[in-house]
Amino acid sequence: MQKYTQQLLDSANQIILGKEHKIRLAVCCLLARGHLLIEDIPGVGKTTLAHTLAKLLGLHYQRIQFTSDILPADILGASVFDGKSHEFTFHPGPVFNQMVLADEINRATPKAQSALLEAMEEGQVTIEGKTYPLPKPFFVIATQNPSHQIGTFPLPESQLDRFLMRIELGYPDPKAERALLTGQSRQKLIASLSVQLPPEQLQLMQQSVTKVHTSDALLDYCQAIINFTRESTEYPCGLSPRAGLALLSAAKAWAFLDQRDAVIPEDIQAVLPSVAGHRLRAGHTNSEAIVAPILDKVPAL
Amino acid sequence: MNKNSLIFLLSSVGLIVLPHSANIPPALFGFFSLMLSWRFVCVWRPQYLPTTRILFFLTLLAFALLLSQHRHLLGRDAGTNLFILALGLKLLEIKAERDIYLVTYLAFIVAASLFLYEQSLLIAAYILAVCCALLATLVTINSIQVQTRAALKTAAVIILQAIPMAAIIFILFPRIEAPRWMLFEEKNKAKIGLSDSMEPGSISDLGTSEELVFRVKFTGAIPPPKQRYWRGPVLSYTDGKRWTQLSSQRFEAHTTPPRTTGIAYSYTLLMEAQEKNWVFALELPTQFAKPLAQTGYYQLINLENPTKRAEYQITSYLQYNTQRVTQIEYQDSIQLPREPSDKIKQLVTQLHGFDSKPDAFIQQLLNHFKQEDFHYTLTPPLMEDNPIESFLFTTRRGFCSHYAAAFVYLMRVAHIPARVVTGYQGGEFNTVGNFLEVRQANAHAWAEVWLENQGWVRVDPTAAIAPERIEQQLNLDQLELGGEIFFNASNAKHTNWLKKGLQLWENADYQWQRWVVNYSSNQSNFLSSFGIHDFKTMMQWLMALVGLITVLLSIFLLHQKKKAIDPVLRLYQQFCQKLQPTGLIITSREGAVDFAQRATTALPEHAEMIEEITAAFIQLRYGRVTTRENFIRFAKLVAKFKLNNRRLGWR
Repeated sequence: MQKYTQQLLDSANQIILGKEHKIRLAVCCLLARGHLLIEDIPGVGKTTLAHTLAKLLGLHYQRIQFTSDILPADILGASVFDGKSHEFTFHPGPVFNQMVLADEINRATPKAQSALLEAMEEGQVTIEGKTYPLPKPFFVIATQNPSHQIGTFPLPESQLDRFLMRIELGYPDPKAERALLTGQSRQKLIASLSVQLPPEQLQLMQQSVTKVHTSDALLDYCQAIINFTRESTEYPCGLSPRAGLALLSAAKAWAFLDQRDAVIPEDIQAVLPSVAGHRLRAGHTNSEAIVAPILDKVPAL
Repeated sequence: MNKNSLIFLLSSVGLIVLPHSANIPPALFGFFSLMLSWRFVCVWRPQYLPTTRILFFLTLLAFALLLSQHRHLLGRDAGTNLFILALGLKLLEIKAERDIYLVTYLAFIVAASLFLYEQSLLIAAYILAVCCALLATLVTINSIQVQTRAALKTAAVIILQAIPMAAIIFILFPRIEAPRWMLFEEKNKAKIGLSDSMEPGSISDLGTSEELVFRVKFTGAIPPPKQRYWRGPVLSYTDGKRWTQLSSQRFEAHTTPPRTTGIAYSYTLLMEAQEKNWVFALELPTQFAKPLAQTGYYQLINLENPTKRAEYQITSYLQYNTQRVTQIEYQDSIQLPREPSDKIKQLVTQLHGFDSKPDAFIQQLLNHFKQEDFHYTLTPPLMEDNPIESFLFTTRRGFCSHYAAAFVYLMRVAHIPARVVTGYQGGEFNTVGNFLEVRQANAHAWAEVWLENQGWVRVDPTAAIAPERIEQQLNLDQLELGGEIFFNASNAKHTNWLKKGLQLWENADYQWQRWVVNYSSNQSNFLSSFGIHDFKTMMQWLMALVGLITVLLSIFLLHQKKKAIDPVLRLYQQFCQKLQPTGLIITSREGAVDFAQRATTALPEHAEMIEEITAAFIQLRYGRVTTRENFIRFAKLVAKFKLNNRRLGWR
């Protein structure tokens, strides 16, 4: 099983250079059955990452470009009158895919945003009284521009909470940048990728992830972190119980990626910025800085 | 600020101001209650909160009210009321978190100001409890989502932790005498006490008051109940109805000091605040310290401020001889307003007043009281004109003042120098605290006769008619009913345990008054017994003890943290300590794996061992199965681990 993940990571690293840790986090998020939010300025490879993952996982993939005039029907689909059969037939929207890339989600109006986010939460879409289940597995990778950019509608905290992780990609280091500049076009490379982790395998792995062991000592550490965010004056509000569960399942996936059957504090520390950053301070992009006080003040052992 | 903590804050503010209702004018208390209830309504209906303009007018109104009640802003009452009004107005202005802090601190000040009015044990406990509620409010607003009960518990723990420090500062902090202008105005609170004149009848309402006058703690022997006469003002002038004091300054200088024999009784007298400067010492006081002084009537007076509770060290002798009297004293003591009536003269003649020795006449007169139809009652009939004659011949009912006045009058008719002494008699012994409590109900009047060779001798005519009055306690419950007084032989007014409980409480209150409230005046004595005599050593001790407590507390806190550690972690920490000499120190944010990584890079020659230990640790602490064998193996690995000496030598 481990061989699949290693291949997956290796292939992805060939496309997106110098971002091993971020790619690992993205895979970890998928293993933990979470949705992923990638936040960064345009052009650092957000879409490429989403595209690569879809390709490597062999999932049905659709991209939705969010604009300020997009409507819920553009995402969910709509009933259209069929002239031949004289009936309304439902034409599913792009959301009916195993992997959905919601590009620049914060450029859409709140109405369109919430259409997608509701689908994410419930795993189904209800249109005109009929409920249509979404495919399984169902992943949403959303990208968003930093909210200080022009023409954005920042996602509210309650909707940010739907994303298991938020990651930032950041600029590549000089070495990776040089490789990027001299190398092949990314589009071509992605097109040439083969499936490394078939969906059945992915579902098996997701099963295994839930079985990773968490000892009392580890749960103590996890609770200490949660309590710290609730009692400290650093944060406007602490982590919710849902955030606690998210933290634990992400840590389990991280341990699984590291080929361990038990979670250790390092796993929690590794996923904490991405899991807790957007939940503690929605407006800030630097997750590492947001969680730094927690890591400094809550003893790991 | 959520609704619950706001309600909590408002309630605790209300509780703090509540005891002040007895101290502040009704208008101001009403104003405060109005503000508080207004704020309470606004918890649910925020739209009713006053605008800045209305608040401004309310403030003006509050000032006008305050000035109309006090006319100034200085002093205890006006100052306290100012704080209370400010607190009430600030309640209506709670907007941000800092307003809550301000309200809480104002409430603390108001709570402290309660001590300016009352210092009893009960009020102290009450204030402590309310402060706990206030602290809990601070705890709630400083953390997100804290249960009220948990917050109260935290506050209680904070208070408990503060007690040792508070006690040390209380004991050792130098007391500075308050300047004159800071002395509290307590004039409106008149104290009931003995009056400086006696008109038989004027003392009757006194007899029923349970108010405490003073407490006495004897260092050695305790005088028998019959001999416990606490001397107050001496009344030697009479106009036939009233008996009043005369200044003793006219003969004081010529008075011979009394000769004393028998046992010396030394005791500490804790006087409650008085209006007059009289100090009631056991007859007859001989040794006492400043600010006490003795008048020519052997009465002790306080030369300084009597309105504060004070403690005195006094020694008295029950057997004494005051020897000669001066001419002026003699004249004062046989003074009569006019020639006595024939009826009285006839009575004196009948009792051989003119033809026998003074002792014999005294005995005759006491027998007369005993044998004739005289009764002891606290509600005697009124005797408007000629009170002595109507008492002696018609009504024959009265209490101590009547008997003492009649006795002294008859003595003077027979040319025997006599005078009335007022004060207290008896006192209830508190077996728990071993001290005597004397209350207003113990007020008494007796007579003093001057005899050749014996000096002034006490004669208590009341003892002749109602010896129980002297030997036992009055049953105060029955006094109000009037008529004959019944003496309660067993004194079983309360069942035993209730009595015991009452005594316990009285004792606690006594100790509180003596050691806490009155501590400022005892501080130097108390500290001297520990060898602390001057200001400098006092400050040194203060700083040393505060430092010691801080160190002890920090050790305790550190120790507490260590106790919860599981054995696996302790072994791992041993391992970390073994690495310490190389400069490798595990940080609090580092997990075992991260640390192992750092350690193996720094010490490649130990890499294998470090990795093995770390793996074992991870398995034991975070793994699914933790067996005893694994633990033992881990323990052995840690024990075996040793740094290369070579490496140590380099550093």
